[in-house]
Amino acid sequence: MNPVITGTGAVSPLGRTSNEFYRRLLAGESSIRPFTPEERGSLQATHVARYDGFIPQPEIPAMKARRFDRGSQFAILACSQAIAEAGYDVAKSPESVGIALGTGSAGAGALTEFLRVLILESPEAAPPFHFPNTVANAPASQVSIELKLFGPNVTITQKDPSGLNAVLFSALAISSGRARAMLAGAVDEWNAVYAMGFDQVGALRGARRASGIIQGEGGFAVLLECEADARARNVRPLARLAGIGTAGVPGEPYRFAPDRRAIARAIRGALAAASAEPRDIHLWFPSANGVIEMDEAEAAVIRELFGGGALPPSIAVKAAIGEMAAAGGAQIVAACRALADPGAPFPRDAAPRRALVNSFGAGGNFFSAVFESVA
Amino acid sequence: MPSARRVVITGLGAVTSIGTTVSEFWRNLLDGVCGIRPLSLFDASAYRTQTAAEVRDIPDGFLSAADKRRMSRADRMGLAAAREAFAQAGLDASRADPTRIGVILGGGTSGLLDSEEVYEKWLHGRRARPSRVLNHLPDAITDRVAQRFGLEGIKSTITTACSSAANAMGYAYDAIAGNLADAVVTGGSDVLARLTYGGFNSLRSVDPDPCRPFDRERRGLSIGEAAGILVFEEEEYARRRGAHVLGEFLGYGVTSDAFHMTAPDPSGAAGGRTIRAALENAGADPGEVDYVNAHGTATPQNDSAETAALKSALGERAREIPVSSIKSMIGHCLCASGAIEAIATLMTVRDGRVPPTIHYENPDPACDLDYVPNEARERPVRVALSNSFAFGGNSSVVVIGRYE
Repeated sequence: MNPVITGTGAVSPLGRTSNEFYRRLLAGESSIRPFTPEERGSLQATHVARYDGFIPQPEIPAMKARRFDRGSQFAILACSQAIAEAGYDVAKSPESVGIALGTGSAGAGALTEFLRVLILESPEAAPPFHFPNTVANAPASQVSIELKLFGPNVTITQKDPSGLNAVLFSALAISSGRARAMLAGAVDEWNAVYAMGFDQVGALRGARRASGIIQGEGGFAVLLECEADARARNVRPLARLAGIGTAGVPGEPYRFAPDRRAIARAIRGALAAASAEPRDIHLWFPSANGVIEMDEAEAAVIRELFGGGALPPSIAVKAAIGEMAAAGGAQIVAACRALADPGAPFPRDAAPRRALVNSFGAGGNFFSAVFESVA
Repeated sequence: MPSARRVVITGLGAVTSIGTTVSEFWRNLLDGVCGIRPLSLFDASAYRTQTAAEVRDIPDGFLSAADKRRMSRADRMGLAAAREAFAQAGLDASRADPTRIGVILGGGTSGLLDSEEVYEKWLHGRRARPSRVLNHLPDAITDRVAQRFGLEGIKSTITTACSSAANAMGYAYDAIAGNLADAVVTGGSDVLARLTYGGFNSLRSVDPDPCRPFDRERRGLSIGEAAGILVFEEEEYARRRGAHVLGEFLGYGVTSDAFHMTAPDPSGAAGGRTIRAALENAGADPGEVDYVNAHGTATPQNDSAETAALKSALGERAREIPVSSIKSMIGHCLCASGAIEAIATLMTVRDGRVPPTIHYENPDPACDLDYVPNEARERPVRVALSNSFAFGGNSSVVVIGRYE
């Protein structure tokens, strides 16, 4: 049983709705910009994709928004969009709807602020209202409280592929009967202290480093549900999750492993689960994020899988919004919108259309997924 | 409903404040030994409380000096527990298909203790060695377990506060039941840190004295640290390789309370939903449950809400079964609590003895079940529950039983 996607949500410097995000992505826009001198400080990194000027109003009134950290605000807006697009009535059966979000930096703002006061003043002075938001699961939990979801509630922190990892958890939850619908996606917030840490350990591209990532922030979610339920609601799904593949490589948690066998294993696993061949893929969402040896390894594997012929058209989401766990969520949203968009770059006779999403992270973590259009 | 592919448990490893092997830990639990003592890992004099269930000697002699320098305390504890679990399971990735063996752990403070020291230097305008923040993310231990044992299957880390390890075990179960893996190393490792110690203190949730779960005079939790690792395998896979099966992971329930970020639903309705979901997934009914390893944090709110939840889901059966909180002995091990408590729960099934809730003196009318006060008890346990009710309404209940 393959779940379908009936709703999408995006809160991103590239767009405050999933439609705007998708439209501007396809138009080739990018939200990556240079750091201002004040932002940059002592970083060697030069660029970032922050969501400048983001305010959660009007959807979240100011008094309420004060209780939520930035990641939670992104998550609430993105998940609300997905539920609305799907026309899903949570109140009918709240136990049947859950959430699984991936993240790398959720809680960073609350954590760094709480510790700043604890260290510079005293443990007694550290603000208690921040503490519950210092954990990675705050966004998913705030969403569950706001949308009154009683189903499964998990947060996955396995670096950049966490969004696809969350989709896998969600698909298992649906197929095992724990839920009939799951919000799945990923959220991240940019944080100056974390940026300093990533910069000092050599993860960021910049003035002194040609290979590395540019950080971004945002929230992205899709609603996955049983196809039968969507049909019963007379809702036409945007896409179907056809298959997911994963591979692990033993290695240091923070080192990138440009392991071609593992990349091939993840992609082939997704294709096999989707009962598809490489030639059935019409659109490719690369994991490529500026870590040169990883990008080259991915391109080499894709070339080999496509028999040395032309590579499928690709949409480089991370070139538009930077790299983070949330980027995987963004790729999923973009793939699903593209599959349902008659104007997207697919061959006219593709039936079904198929998209491959790759999401690879440091520490030997590899995920791939195949999404297909729904007749 | 239960899965066609059954999941059995073949290895256990534990590093705790009252024992750094499973047998030492279990023996001390049955003897009612308390691991909550003055904190020595960092200077706690400026905090509201100064005690914790701290691990004294991590058995990490098998790691090289270079390994130990590179890794965090949480990594060392997690690897030590994983080593014990692997040895017991007799699993060898070099003689199996390593792509079918995964690692799914609960994520805790990880290298936060080191990151905090780096941050302090930055705040005072000083430089720090960048390598000290490399272990900051909670999935470091997951990658390290895969690295140490040569595992190439599915990897994931779940970070849902105090239900992290319980959810990790649940994901491991779903991955095996869903044929994504034949074996998964699961559980979690969490260590003391200023953030969590200060955080719970800032909420006034910590008892300055060793905690007293379910007692009328309870004042809050004691914070602890632990690593608990379990090896899960698909049943046929375990039998084919002649593994000795310790017990079965029958299923789990994972739900959102959708109530409040820090307070549990006092009516017990939310917790009751989680327990019912777990029983339904395991194909068990309340009459079959012989023991509950409670979340039992000793906060005024949790213990009464949990009691109400047990009554809501188990009905009159709740009064007939022993319910104990080992947090009275090892404190609240936060993101590892689900794992270390699942290990204790499995030991009750194997041994036919249930550990006590110690420091219990004054019955509370709002908590009127049998909490096994102060003394362990003999009792055959065929099916047992272990509860984890976390901040954010992340509630999980796992069901562990005799393998039949």
